[in-house]
Amino acid sequence: MSSDEQFFGSPSRRRVLNIIVLIVFGILFLRLYQLQLLYHSEFGKKSEENSVRSLTKDPVRGYMFDRTGRLVVDVGPAYSITVIPASFDTNNLTFLSSLLQMDPTLLQARINRGRAYSRFSAVRVKRDVDFKTLTTVEENLYLLPGVNYDVESKRLYPVKVRAPHLLGYCKEITDAQLARFGSVYQQGDLIGSSGIEASYETFLRGEKGFEFISVNSKGQILGPLEEGQRDIPSKEGFDLILSLDFGLQAFAESLMTNYRGALVAIDPNDGGVLALVSKPDFDPSTFSGVTSSEVWARLNNDPDKPLFNRATMTRYPPGSTFKMLVAAAGLQEKLIDERYRITCGGSFRLGRKVFKDTHVHGSVNVVEALQYSCDVFFYQLILKIGLEKLYAYSKQFGFGQLTKFDIGEENTGLIPSTEYYDRVYGKGKWTQGYLVSLGIGQGEIGVSPLQMAQYTAALANGGILMQPHAVNSVRNKRTNRFDLIDHKEHSIGVNQKILSIIREGMRRVVESPGGTGGLARISGIVSAGKTGTAQNPGEDHAWYVGFAPFNHPKIAVVVMLENAGFGGVKAAPIGGMVMEKYLFGDLQRRAVSPPSLKDTSSHSVMH
Amino acid sequence: MLEYLKEYFDYRTFFTCLALVCIGLISIYSATFDINNALNFHRQAIWAGIGFFVMLIMTFLPLRTIQRLSFFLYFLTLAILIIILIIGSTVKGSKSWFGIGGLGGQPSEFAKIATVLAFASYLSRTGVSLSQVKHLIIALCIFGAPMLLILAQPDLGTTIVFFAILLPVLFWAGASNFILIAILVPILVALGALLGTAQFLIAAIVGATLLYMFHKNRFAVAIAFGIALAIGLTVQVIYERMPQYQQKRISTFLNPEADPLGAGYNVVQSKIAIGSGGFFGKGYLKGTQTQLNYIPEQWTDFIFCVPGEEFGFLGGCLVIALFFGLVLHSLRLASLSKNKFGSLASIGFAGILTTHTVINIGMSMGLFPVIGIPLPFLSYGGSALVANMMLAGLLMNLYAHRKSY
Repeated sequence: MSSDEQFFGSPSRRRVLNIIVLIVFGILFLRLYQLQLLYHSEFGKKSEENSVRSLTKDPVRGYMFDRTGRLVVDVGPAYSITVIPASFDTNNLTFLSSLLQMDPTLLQARINRGRAYSRFSAVRVKRDVDFKTLTTVEENLYLLPGVNYDVESKRLYPVKVRAPHLLGYCKEITDAQLARFGSVYQQGDLIGSSGIEASYETFLRGEKGFEFISVNSKGQILGPLEEGQRDIPSKEGFDLILSLDFGLQAFAESLMTNYRGALVAIDPNDGGVLALVSKPDFDPSTFSGVTSSEVWARLNNDPDKPLFNRATMTRYPPGSTFKMLVAAAGLQEKLIDERYRITCGGSFRLGRKVFKDTHVHGSVNVVEALQYSCDVFFYQLILKIGLEKLYAYSKQFGFGQLTKFDIGEENTGLIPSTEYYDRVYGKGKWTQGYLVSLGIGQGEIGVSPLQMAQYTAALANGGILMQPHAVNSVRNKRTNRFDLIDHKEHSIGVNQKILSIIREGMRRVVESPGGTGGLARISGIVSAGKTGTAQNPGEDHAWYVGFAPFNHPKIAVVVMLENAGFGGVKAAPIGGMVMEKYLFGDLQRRAVSPPSLKDTSSHSVMH
Repeated sequence: MLEYLKEYFDYRTFFTCLALVCIGLISIYSATFDINNALNFHRQAIWAGIGFFVMLIMTFLPLRTIQRLSFFLYFLTLAILIIILIIGSTVKGSKSWFGIGGLGGQPSEFAKIATVLAFASYLSRTGVSLSQVKHLIIALCIFGAPMLLILAQPDLGTTIVFFAILLPVLFWAGASNFILIAILVPILVALGALLGTAQFLIAAIVGATLLYMFHKNRFAVAIAFGIALAIGLTVQVIYERMPQYQQKRISTFLNPEADPLGAGYNVVQSKIAIGSGGFFGKGYLKGTQTQLNYIPEQWTDFIFCVPGEEFGFLGGCLVIALFFGLVLHSLRLASLSKNKFGSLASIGFAGILTTHTVINIGMSMGLFPVIGIPLPFLSYGGSALVANMMLAGLLMNLYAHRKSY
């Protein structure tokens, strides 16, 4: 307005108006250029997020087959009701909660939890609903924007086999896990949280798929985007081929039903677990769908601790089943040889302390000492070996450390070392006397049944310590090939001749008169084993370790029964039957009843 | 024949208007075909037909008749505005829709044109000059009366449009710089008052300085400044008493992103629609923002998103360029017109078109507050379309008579 030409229609004022119009329209053009060309990608992304929702399609979790190809863990459909928090009308809360028959505050809490994660992703508010609930919700979907249902896979278990500690279970992912694993999972996903389900999660879970749908501003679904051309199908999880033998597992579980304890059967040639039982246990299908907090509380607070894996997590003294290790150490260190004999007078005196034996065994060599389970022989031998050597051999045989079992969840156990005694009793305040009971697997020593199985298998297979494992191979769904899983093994460093002496002792335990494990005998085949009765503040724990057939072992088994009494009476017959079942597919001697057990074995009941 | 056509047929206005109406119909179809079976489209098409008829009438009426009818039309619209204030139906908290046989009519659309015509008619009278205080006051009253009636509805947006038309026509009519400043300062002070005390004080100081710079005598400065302060303070009082949706519109203008799901939602979604269009657009009927109804009532005030999203930068530029061309043409016509009436009316129409276009497209792109101003020719709404086509017809008439005195 610099002009002073203040008259009608002055040319200078025309110029001013032209410039103003030029400027304001120029701004519009520039803004259009800015929005559509400079920031196009940013707005393009926003518009996609706006109108396109991705629905996650959960993959079918991998199946589990046993070593013979029999289906062990199956998959079936489970229907979940989902809510997209951004689209859900909170006025419908009470209506939806009445349809689902759930507490409105719980429903609100679940929606809020989903909202905190992503407003536009569907959150499962109720899983594994029954068909009736599903249909009522489905009929009312048009009244409930943002509500939908999805199908996810749910574990189905066979009737005869439970094996919950081995197979494991899945649970809804926790916030902590979600934070740790990030993008692979979403709120409400199931994740393997124990057993094989947990340790093979990455193989089993598969890959999520996505379905893209168009929605309007109210969140109502308008249909698939571009006729579903951009959808990403989910990829099935890989199947697992377990080392488990379905029939054997079922049989072993039936034998263990009334006990508290564990049974581990292992293939001594590769370390594959053929059967793994921990009793008392629980039905794995408890966790296949929704797990209510009441069920959780009941299982957690059960005094029998059914969730506790006794096969891998316990640390009990091995009792006389430990004697093979002591004998092997003595022979390998050339402290004794096979001709070395002692005379057993029924007890052993060290200083003022007397260590008792169960019987007077007279003159025994190492083989006979194993056969009759003579304690005096091992009391003397352990003193020759000493704590340091015993510790070293225990480690060689896999004790006092993790077996690296592929499903994890195991205990190292306890093998005392010099440092251990120094720490517990003080340096110089413990004597060799502390050592004596270790010779018969008593005292401050703890092993798990799984470690015992690994050790028994090593004795059976000629001294190779195999990494125990539950999974043999993975069926890769993409290449459709079976990928074998590598398992570690190493030599226990005891020569073959010595091992055959030990094995002869174990054969006699089962096969010779006076052997403590006669009840484990299998008709038609030679087997070997060792009984153990671990002293305990309460009733003794019964142990039996064994393998069969004697010459070319195909199975090694460990039975541990808490507070059951004598190993030879309680544990040995179970061990024998399990091996027989595995080798023959059936039991040859069907008529074995507890009373007759007692009669025929009374003469041989020792440790 | 061709020479005759070139001399008397304003093909620029005619084809620009037709092109914009067509783009509008195409856009309305895209925005509504899935919602109500393109009911809005069909209605708008009928209105376009009626508008075309009105446009032809306006083109061929003798200019003198129009000039004489100006005040009749003006008072008629004033009367209608008064009736509306008394009995008018309330739509979105604003009494502006005039129900005639079920068809809504917005008389303020016609009031703008009638006011421009009346103003032009008054100032083209011999002996009337803005340098005379009496004539100046009458000229201001011609604008003031409909503005007050519309502000009372209350329709803040249209009131702002009236202001934006008043300034260029006064400017063109030869009003002194002091008068223009004296009209601008109250707006400045009022805006300051809405923003806060500090802004109010700054605006008052700047206003006083401007007035003093262009002053004629101190008495006039004092009066103008006093009026400015009074308006500034009353605006604050009015703001307090405003319906909440209008308050929100103003506060959203100050920070539109603060409430993306509330009042700022339209702007955010509209920016996404336009921005995501890119250079070539997403293709007709393929704009996700438009087709999925992300922008509420897109066919009215946010119609620009449709060409912006579906035809991209090319489409957006075409629309803006058409308006730009029409406005430049009107300005040129104002210079070419040998008669004062036609010249002033052309400036007034250029003012209407510029204000509507810039504010509407500006708000679609997040440059302006959402004040409910339709985009001429494109936005859905019968009265606005007919009024704008009437305006185009008048422009064509003025073009044909540009050489008569």
